[in-house]
Amino acid sequence: MFTASNLRVMRGAVWLLAFVPWLTQPAAAEEKGKWLGVEFPHDAPVIPVAFDFGPSTVTPRGSSMVIDLHAGLVLRNVGTKPICGLALRVEARDVSPNGKGSVIKPSLFVMPGEEFPVKVDMQLMRPISAARSEAAMVQVTLDCALFSDLKAYGPDKLNSKRTLLVYEMEARRDRQFLARLLDSGRLPELREELNFENQDFPPRQLGFELLRGPHTATVREQSVSVNPVTFPKGPVQPLGGAAQVAGNEVRSPRVDVKNVSKLHVVSVAMGWIVGDDHGRDFVAGALTSRLPIDPVQTSFITESGTLRFLQATGKPMVINRLMTFVNDVEFADGTVWVPSRDDIDAATQDYTLRRELATSPEEERLASVYRREGTAGLKRELQRVSLVPGKVN
Amino acid sequence: MKTSSAEHPTLEILSLYAAADLPLMLRMRTGQHVKHCATCEQQVLALQSAKAELRREAQGEVLTGFEAIADWSALEADMLGNIRVGVAASRCIENVGRGRRIGFRLAWLSGMAVLFMAGWVTRVPTEDSQLIVTALRRAVGLEQAPYNGTVLRSTRDGISVKTRGATLTILHPESAVVSMSSPSSVTARYVDDDSGQVTITNVYGQ
Repeated sequence: MFTASNLRVMRGAVWLLAFVPWLTQPAAAEEKGKWLGVEFPHDAPVIPVAFDFGPSTVTPRGSSMVIDLHAGLVLRNVGTKPICGLALRVEARDVSPNGKGSVIKPSLFVMPGEEFPVKVDMQLMRPISAARSEAAMVQVTLDCALFSDLKAYGPDKLNSKRTLLVYEMEARRDRQFLARLLDSGRLPELREELNFENQDFPPRQLGFELLRGPHTATVREQSVSVNPVTFPKGPVQPLGGAAQVAGNEVRSPRVDVKNVSKLHVVSVAMGWIVGDDHGRDFVAGALTSRLPIDPVQTSFITESGTLRFLQATGKPMVINRLMTFVNDVEFADGTVWVPSRDDIDAATQDYTLRRELATSPEEERLASVYRREGTAGLKRELQRVSLVPGKVN
Repeated sequence: MKTSSAEHPTLEILSLYAAADLPLMLRMRTGQHVKHCATCEQQVLALQSAKAELRREAQGEVLTGFEAIADWSALEADMLGNIRVGVAASRCIENVGRGRRIGFRLAWLSGMAVLFMAGWVTRVPTEDSQLIVTALRRAVGLEQAPYNGTVLRSTRDGISVKTRGATLTILHPESAVVSMSSPSSVTARYVDDDSGQVTITNVYGQ
C-alpha cells in the first residue's frame, strides 16, 4: 500500500542512497566540490591552501533532508600588508537569495606569507522534493579583507567592511586600555577587566527571532518609550523614541537622533538594551541603518521587522523596558566612530551594563590569552599586535 | 309423615340448598323434597349446623389476630425495622451493580484508548503528530503563531535563517554570545578554543 507517508519515507531513502557514495568514498576534491565550493577572486590577498572536509552527514527528517557540513580551511596571506580582519560569505544555493551567512575573523594579525585557519560548521535543511542545482550546495567566498592600514579588499556584498572596521576600532581601543593598565601596574583592575567568566559576571545570553516582512499587530500591543543612553563625546546623540511591545515582541521601533558633529554621517548603528520583568538589562546588539545626516541635523531611525526576545532557555522573555544608545557611526569619509572607555564609563552607573557595553571581541580574545598565559602572555600578545599602525580612537 | 325416596337430591345439591345458593326452580323443587323426606331434611340441618360452626370459628380466628396487633407502636417499630433492612439490602445490591458497571466502562474506555494510541503510533506519521501538538500548543497560548516570511533565529547550537521551507544554520559552541547586528541579521560570537581566535558568524535574511 503506497500511502503518502510511505512515499515520503521511500523518497527519503532514495535521497539518502544518492548521498551514500559521497559519505563513504574518500574525500576526493571533486566529491568535496559537490558539497562545498570555495572560490576566491584571482587577485585576492588571501588564498585557500588547505581544505579539510570534516565528518559531514545527511539525515532525513520528516519530509526534509538535513545536511551537516563541517569544513576547515587554511588561508594564506599572499598580499603585501598585514590582514587584521576577514569576512567570508557563505551562500546555500537552495536557500539563496533570501538567506545567507558569513564567517568573520576579526582581530587577526596575519603578516604576509602567514597562514591561519577558518572553520565553517553549518547545517542545511531543505525539502527533499526541492530542485537541486549542479553547483556546490554551499559556496564560500571572500567578502572582505581589512588591512592594518584600514584599507579593504573585496566585493563587500554583506557590508562587511564597515563591520570589520568597527571591530578593529574597538580592538585598538581595548588593546590601548589594557596596555595602559599593564604599563601602570594596575593588575587588580586588569584581572577584574579580563576575568569575564567568574561567578559574579556570568554572560547574559539572549535568544532572538527576527521576522522580516509584514506582520499583523496584536491586540496586546502597547507603546513603550525608548530611553536614550548617551555617550558624552558621541558625534550622534539619541533623543528618545518609542516602540510597540507585546509580551516578548518588539515592533516598529523608532528613535530620533541628532548629528552633533561637523561631519557628514552615512550610517548609524543603534545599540539596544532590553529590560526583563526581573529588572535585568541585556545588551541585545546593535542595528546598523543607512542614515545620511548632515552636521547639526536631526533624523530618525525606524525598523519594519518584528523582533522576539527569548531567554537562554528558549522561553519568551517579557519585555519591561527599552533603552538605546549609539553603538557606532560611519562618516562620509569612510572613518568610523566607536565610544571610548571614558564615554562608556560616563554613560551608566550600572556596573554590569557598563561591562557589557565595553566587551568587544578583541577583549574576549585577550582575556582568553590572559587566562591561558597570564600577564606575561598578555604583554607579548599586546606587543605583537601593537605593530599594526593606524588611528586609535 | 315424612318418607324416604329413591330420588334424593345429591349431597352437593343439598349443600347448596342449605346455603341458599341454588337457582330458584331447583331450590323450590329441592325444598318440596326436603319437606317430605326426613333423611334429606336431616342432611340439610347437619350442613347448616356445620356451616354456622365454621363461621363462628372463622370469626374467632380474626378476633385473635386483632388482639395480636393491639400494640401498634411495637408493630410500627417492627415494620420500620423491616423497611430499613430492606432498603439497606437494596442499596448493597445497587452499589455492587454500579461498581461493576463503572469498572466495565473504565475497562472499555481504557481498551479503546490503548487501541487508539496503538493505531496512532503505527499509522500516523511523526511530523503529523508534531503538527497537531504544535496546533494545540498554539491554541492554548503556549506557542506563538507561525510566520511565513523570512525568519532569523538563534538556538543553543547555532543561528539560522529560514526561508521558502529551507533553513541555513551556522553552528557555534554553547558559549557563544548571540546578538543582533542589523535589521536583517543575527550574530554569534565566540573564542575558538583551538586557535584562540575570535569567530563571529552571521546569518542574513533579505
